[in-house]
Amino acid sequence: MNPTVRPQPGRSHDRGRLVVEDLSLERGNRKLLDEVCAIFEPGVVTAIVGPSGAGKTRLLRCLNRLDEPTGGRVLLDGVDHRSIDPRQLRRRVGMIFQLPAVFAGDVRANLSYGLNDPDEEELVVALDAAALPAHLLGQEASTLSVGQAQRMCIARALLRRPECLLLDEPTASLDRDATTAVEQLVASLAGQDLAVVMVTHDLLQAARTADRALLLVAGRVAAVGPADEIQARWPTESAS
Amino acid sequence: MADGVRVVSRAVVASAVVALAVAAARARGLHIERELLVAAGRALLQLGAVALVVTAVFDQLGLSALFLLVMLAAASASAAGRWGNVARARARALAAIGAGAGTVLAVVFASGAFELQPRFLIPLAGIVIGGSMTATALAGRRLGEEVGDHVGTIEARLALGISARQALAPHISRAAVTALIPAIDQTKNVGLVTLPGAFVGMLLGGASPIEAAQVQLTVLFLLLGAESIAAIVATHLVANALIAPGERIELETQPPL
Repeated sequence: MNPTVRPQPGRSHDRGRLVVEDLSLERGNRKLLDEVCAIFEPGVVTAIVGPSGAGKTRLLRCLNRLDEPTGGRVLLDGVDHRSIDPRQLRRRVGMIFQLPAVFAGDVRANLSYGLNDPDEEELVVALDAAALPAHLLGQEASTLSVGQAQRMCIARALLRRPECLLLDEPTASLDRDATTAVEQLVASLAGQDLAVVMVTHDLLQAARTADRALLLVAGRVAAVGPADEIQARWPTESAS
Repeated sequence: MADGVRVVSRAVVASAVVALAVAAARARGLHIERELLVAAGRALLQLGAVALVVTAVFDQLGLSALFLLVMLAAASASAAGRWGNVARARARALAAIGAGAGTVLAVVFASGAFELQPRFLIPLAGIVIGGSMTATALAGRRLGEEVGDHVGTIEARLALGISARQALAPHISRAAVTALIPAIDQTKNVGLVTLPGAFVGMLLGGASPIEAAQVQLTVLFLLLGAESIAAIVATHLVANALIAPGERIELETQPPL
């Protein structure tokens, strides 16, 4: 277990606290994650940074069981997440992907997907939280810009009232303005007492957006700390 | 003697058509010449062998049933081979083909529409097993492709707390529908665009057009039923194979590291 990120027991508010203990993931003979330890606190934006192939996305996918680790465990509010119904777990630990996943239909249908008839006000509040105007509700989702679509995906996840939100390179397909909008949105999410975990290959983005960063190299935690300090320590290794 | 000469000349002409197809494939650089020749060669050998076997088992119901089991096994192996890397593919394909062909044959013989005699059982079973095999192969393969093409959307649904079965549902439907397009089009266009095998065979064999049409309609309706059941069961079983514990989708192709 990495001593820099050992769990610290006895915190006062634990709702949405994710603790990763000695997490490993193997595919064939390859170790994609190697005894990773980390804590993701509510109200904190953590950036997972590292070079390509470091295991950033794999770690994120293990947090909501889209990938099943081959060793170690993940605790959500102190409970092993394998003992939580996966559907329930994924509502509590929402995830945003690199490319916005737009379903058929209008924005209302996209937001309501899988929910029991949410009322209009809830939808508008979710859109507002993602900095999108209410009039978009009736618009065909496929006609949104990529930046709007990504923010709609964030609104859709927020509508499930998650305790944690995972974002996998959420600005990878966006232009500069849309990237700024999403970065501001991500930074504001911690104010809603969400544990926010964002994968990025861009250390500058991590410094702009996150409170702390976790540097992964070859599936292992290499450093944890404020993003600007990580940047200062590993500027060439992980700025690709 | 004249009949013998005619039979030989037909075989030569039919072979020439295959040679033409091979030449066209080569000219277009399709690289399927070998597959065309193997298909034609297998058809020749298999149909010749079947003619001999059917002659031998035609009066024995027990032997006929055994013959059908061999057909089922071969059809399952063939359909499963089209699915790619699906766990226990042969068993799943066998279940789908068996469900399609078995249901239809049970209805046909239990209702008394046909007597349970080898001379009816073998040709009807052969047709519905063949049709079910095609539908099963297409449905399973298409579902694998659908899921591979849309894995991002499917995982986005999973990430919203949807069950894996629900997340796959639209793709299961699309795969089943795609697999049934040939059977539906064949039935819809019969007589307009195509003159199908049984009809042509009976006409060439000297039956009247009315008799040929009756038999062909029976065959088409049986095929439609068998293929629909087979495609639905196949997509259901292949979907089961793609769903991993923990409401996950397990594909050969993993997302980028």
